[in-house]
Amino acid sequence: MRGSEIVASITVRGLTKRYGNLTAVNNISFTVEAGEIFGMLGPNGAGKTTTVEILVGLRVADAGEIKVLGFNPTTEGRQLKSSIGVQLQMPALFPRLTVEEALKLNASFYPDPFPVEQVLEWVGLRELRRVLTYKLSGGQRQRLVVGMAMISNSQILFLDEPTTGLDPQARHNLWEIIQELQQMGKTIFLTTHYMEEAQHLCDRVAIIDHGSIIVLGTPQQLIGDHFQEKAIELSAVESDDETILQQLPGVTRVQKVDSQITLYSTEVEATLRELIQLEKEQQLTVAGLAIRQASLEDVFLKLTGRSIRP
Amino acid sequence: MKIFINLVVATLKDLARDRMAIFWFILFPILFIFLFGMIFSGGAGNVNFDLGIVVEEQGIFAETFIASLKQSEVFTIYQGSLDAELEALAGRRRNAVLALPQVQLGPQFSSGDQPSEVIVPVYYDASSQANKVPLFMLGEIFNHVERGIQNRPRIFAIDARPVQSEALSDIDYLLPGILAMALMQLGLFGSLRLVYLRERKVLKSLGATPLPRVQIVFSEIVIRLLMAAIQTSLIILIGHFVFDVQIVGSWWQVLATVLFGAFVFVSIGYMLVTFAKTEESGNGIIQVVQFPMMFLSGIFFQLEFLPPFLAPVVKAIPLTYLGDLLRSVLIGMPYAFGLATDLLVLGGWLIISLILTIRFWRWE
Ligand SMILES: Nc1ncnc2c1ncn2[C@@H]1O[C@H](COP(=O)(O)OP(=O)(O)O)[C@@H](O)[C@H]1O
Ligand SMILES: [Mg+2]
Repeated sequence: MRGSEIVASITVRGLTKRYGNLTAVNNISFTVEAGEIFGMLGPNGAGKTTTVEILVGLRVADAGEIKVLGFNPTTEGRQLKSSIGVQLQMPALFPRLTVEEALKLNASFYPDPFPVEQVLEWVGLRELRRVLTYKLSGGQRQRLVVGMAMISNSQILFLDEPTTGLDPQARHNLWEIIQELQQMGKTIFLTTHYMEEAQHLCDRVAIIDHGSIIVLGTPQQLIGDHFQEKAIELSAVESDDETILQQLPGVTRVQKVDSQITLYSTEVEATLRELIQLEKEQQLTVAGLAIRQASLEDVFLKLTGRSIRP
Repeated sequence: MKIFINLVVATLKDLARDRMAIFWFILFPILFIFLFGMIFSGGAGNVNFDLGIVVEEQGIFAETFIASLKQSEVFTIYQGSLDAELEALAGRRRNAVLALPQVQLGPQFSSGDQPSEVIVPVYYDASSQANKVPLFMLGEIFNHVERGIQNRPRIFAIDARPVQSEALSDIDYLLPGILAMALMQLGLFGSLRLVYLRERKVLKSLGATPLPRVQIVFSEIVIRLLMAAIQTSLIILIGHFVFDVQIVGSWWQVLATVLFGAFVFVSIGYMLVTFAKTEESGNGIIQVVQFPMMFLSGIFFQLEFLPPFLAPVVKAIPLTYLGDLLRSVLIGMPYAFGLATDLLVLGGWLIISLILTIRFWRWE
């Protein structure tokens, strides 16, 4: 299935979109290969939804060259839409259709849809199949709209923040389904503001902020390029002079967001030994401490100085 | 086509499960017809038509004519002098008085000359709309009798002379009016659903699927027409079985008229809400339009009773013509404007509103 990887599913060159004075998407370029899971990671307002809606032909770009499966979404939307499945960020439903009816209706729009049963199974809505959509909880509804996109059985699946509002269990389930779809040869373009999601799920990730792609690559590349260090997270740090943290052995960077301080260290053991010494000397107090691998979150923090979470 | 049918079915389910909406959809026409029926049904159940006949000269024609009238159960025949009968009419003991003129039936008719028409004056109470139907029957009977005697086309023409006028209507007149109003409201307010679907982003969400957007509009229209047919049946059945309204048109004439009327108003509705951003503001616009339209269109009272300066307004209102059309098709009242005019005006509104809607409608 992944033999066809050389074929690009989506090519975007110089895509720009403005709303009045605001440049929501600023001259971005990327390609998505057939069969890959491509993620767009960024905080709220970064321009993810705008990008997705342009790619699926719901909005018109101000500038840029876009091809999705060889089609121009603006001028060839009709042909394109039969070959893509789309989950919008805030999709609306007919309120008084049941889960099953909503899936069936969407299925009827596509030439070769998945069976309704299979999709109900995937998104875990079997028991709720006869429930009217307006009675669903936020998470159930989110699973339904993802299912409505999946049922298209189309070559490319666009998922705009598919796991927002899902509990961790449902999120992990959905990751598995998305990977299953990839095994079947589908291309998946998804957006997220969960860095774990991008890191775990995506073959390649474009980190987007203020409408610009700031880095693009596999999660390993992005982390490896920016960090050889591990991250030491300190919470509720109290100290007269926080600059002493910078002087700890092995520490290359100190990143502070509110009362949370992250030390990036090449020699974690040495750093910790000295940190404990400082605490004994009562130069600082730390309520909590955790050591982890550097993540995409850290990459975002390093590149923008801000946390990706709102 | 399969997609379209799926969409129509899905939309129907979505609508049909809105209990409140269904409740009003069914109750509204029932409520109206009972309300008006109770108020105005005096005399509606009265199938008897008291006809006074003044015979100026006995003869074969008068005899034949009166004999054929007596066959009809609708008419009760009284004979007397013109003065006596007119007095009875004023006292409401007659519905109409007909003065049979002297008719020379002789060889001169067979000579091939076209005789000049013989005028038959009929005096009736114009305030009672129920009288108009029997007046038609009279005309038909004349024709019939004439042909029976002469074996030739009509000679007589009815000259209706109203002698009394009051601001009164009755259920026969009102039933087509209620139907016209129902169709107008169904069409106008029905257009709001598309605004709702747009406001709630349902249109946008469906726009990401291969479903062509116009199909959504078509399915909306098809559903409104279906609802129009259902409401019409309700109104006509109640009118017929409860208030004894006689429908003269065939079912397909009625259906065609109703569907046409509903389509005109759905399309006017779309034109009106083209510029409405929200369902609420669309609702406001439609209220502002439909309320005066209802009262200025003469569907509930006759146009003659409106102040003359309103005449141009009345004549511009499409509901006026739908009312006229329905009154004729349903209960056989004469056209106030003529069939062609009614169709032309309604068709004009249909085309103009469609063009404006297509030109200015925004999907987002
Ligand atoms: N229709 C719109 N009109 C004006 N501004 C918009 C519109 N849609 C989005 N924006 C703005 O564009 C920016 C990018 O939005 P969006 O693409 O929704 O970001 P994301 O999906 O990453 O949260 C935001 O600042 C948002 O407020
Ligand atoms: Mg978004």
